[in-house]
Amino acid sequence: MAFRAEHVFRWDLDKTYLKSEFDSFGDLVKAALETAQDKQAYPGARALLRALSRHHGHRICIISGSPTQMKRVLAAKLALDGIKYSEFVLKNNLKNMVRGRFRALRSQIPYKLPVLLESRAQLVETPPETLFGDDAEADAIIYNLYADLLSGAVSSSELERVLQAARAYPDQIEHTLELVERLERADSVKRILIHLEARTPTANYTKFGSRTVPIFNYFQAALILYSDGVLTARQVLFVALEMLESPEYELPTLANSLQDLLRRGRLTTDVAARLALEANEAATAGALAGRADLPPFDEIAWAFASRTRELGGAPPLEWPSEGSTLDYVSLVDQEHHARRDKRRARALRRRRRS
Amino acid sequence: MQRIVVDAMGGDHGAEEIIHGAAEASLALSDVELILVGDAARIGRILPKVAHDGARIRVHHAGQVIGMDEKPSDGLAGKPDASIVVAADLVARGEGDALVSAGNTGASVLACARRWKLMAGIRRAALASVYPTELRRGEKNDPFSLILDVGATVDATAEDLVTFAVMGAAYARVVSKNNRPRVALLSNGSEAGKGPRSVVEAHAMLLEQTGLNFIGNIEGLDIPRGVADVVVCSGYVGNVVIKMLEGVSDTVMRLARYAHKERLMWRVALAMLSGGIERLKLVTDWEQYGGAPLLGFENLFIKAHGRSRAQAISNAIRVASKAQRGQLCGSIGDGVAAFHERRGESSAASG
Repeated sequence: MAFRAEHVFRWDLDKTYLKSEFDSFGDLVKAALETAQDKQAYPGARALLRALSRHHGHRICIISGSPTQMKRVLAAKLALDGIKYSEFVLKNNLKNMVRGRFRALRSQIPYKLPVLLESRAQLVETPPETLFGDDAEADAIIYNLYADLLSGAVSSSELERVLQAARAYPDQIEHTLELVERLERADSVKRILIHLEARTPTANYTKFGSRTVPIFNYFQAALILYSDGVLTARQVLFVALEMLESPEYELPTLANSLQDLLRRGRLTTDVAARLALEANEAATAGALAGRADLPPFDEIAWAFASRTRELGGAPPLEWPSEGSTLDYVSLVDQEHHARRDKRRARALRRRRRS
Repeated sequence: MQRIVVDAMGGDHGAEEIIHGAAEASLALSDVELILVGDAARIGRILPKVAHDGARIRVHHAGQVIGMDEKPSDGLAGKPDASIVVAADLVARGEGDALVSAGNTGASVLACARRWKLMAGIRRAALASVYPTELRRGEKNDPFSLILDVGATVDATAEDLVTFAVMGAAYARVVSKNNRPRVALLSNGSEAGKGPRSVVEAHAMLLEQTGLNFIGNIEGLDIPRGVADVVVCSGYVGNVVIKMLEGVSDTVMRLARYAHKERLMWRVALAMLSGGIERLKLVTDWEQYGGAPLLGFENLFIKAHGRSRAQAISNAIRVASKAQRGQLCGSIGDGVAAFHERRGESSAASG
């Protein structure tokens, strides 16, 4: 079946949309037993995904590494949050276990990449894409590899080497290469947003170039998408309002999030100024109605503007020149080692505790 | 949400360590906003390299820095846009609740003194310092006692010494969770009549006009033992004492190094003791404690050691947060008001 879309948004679920813990066996059991009501989305994520899903031409594709057995509860959670989606793919780990493919239980790239490519193959034309992932696993590598495959920046032979480094099974490699052969090449991936759930230093993502933006929260995601022309100022306000309902966020923390993007050169002061004007219009038109707990919009705008002034005109971070190709094989190797080290450190901590 | 202002440029190790410490604190303290004051471009280059929470860190540009060796008054006069000046201003304007700096001590204290108001009933501020002791205290088994003043007020009157005692006791209650700290005056003898006039008068006032757990006078040798939890003295005496204690500690370390080099037998003995020495070092590590508070102003200033690394800065921020959460300034205000009330009553009675 073929689908037409104006813009495709691909979302990971765990640690991107949903607050999930799966660092230990106990966490996995807990996650499996949780009901839809128990599951919590990150502040602002629901408002953002809802805003994206309500646009007629938008196609929302959810691709998660959670097992297929959790589909019912996860679908119920998305329904509870009022999110409509076009695709929802989960990992069939039971099948992997039955076939004795234990390596596939943990592997990310050999699972997610073909799923992304299959989904892409169903599209008519080459709509732009925005991808959402997190820093817990290899999302930044997978999404950039996918983007570079679409644009033709990565050859089939390199892809084969990357999949071998990612310890993919031979049939997975063959299937992925077949999918790539059928691709219509286009530089479609416009933005990759990586939610810093593990608070990985943002500089670790510089190598991926300006397309990949690490974000501390969903207000930052909304600001970037506003800058990309995907969200309106009113929708940015709704994301901010949802975040302010959570005890984790206050107006100053949102203003700091804006300043952080300015410092990192991910947002310009011109865009911030335009957003302030449009947000003012939205507020005047009633976007803040019923929020008596908030100060008048002028005061909010002043607090945000002060964060810009406080930088004293300091230049934002300079970006290394774009165009250098990524060495995906070594990125996969590094990620593999980092994951192994993390596992060992966790095991050591557990042993020490016991 | 608490707002802690951090002078990002001060300290012997430069901005890198301070920013790393603040980044660490931004992850550990969920209800704190950290305002880093300093060269915004430089801070902006360092922060992305370290794990932090971008929503809890705010950068406020200040284009100048007062060096560690600069004369405080000259530095403040010549550098109105120095990070410590801008940081103290932010707190004075109500944009921050507490200040942390590892920079030039004199300049930091002077910047606060020129911009902040003293609390009602307090004539002079006091800089406190912690010192590891043999005896421990409080619910956390704290190995550090507090000595104040160590340099903010060179010549203190009897009344100043009493307010220092009230401030130090409040700090021990809030930060060390020591509900009834033992307070002592530092003198040249334990008898009430020993010492200069200010100490003798303060002794009487502490006994009669405060509800503190005042244990009387102590001598210098009682400080490292930990006989008192709060040791009160004038800034002149305190500064001499604290420098001497630091000097003794450095000399012991140098002697140990000498012994290590000199004879194989001594080296073996030191190696055998290394576990214990390491433990002792950990227990008495000033980096674990954070910093020294400047008390008496309406706002709190925590002076981190100039040699502070990231961990010490992070701990200094935690101490500031803890003191703020425990309403240290309010507690000091109540204590000082109670002292003045009793003093007024006893004057009226004797008059």
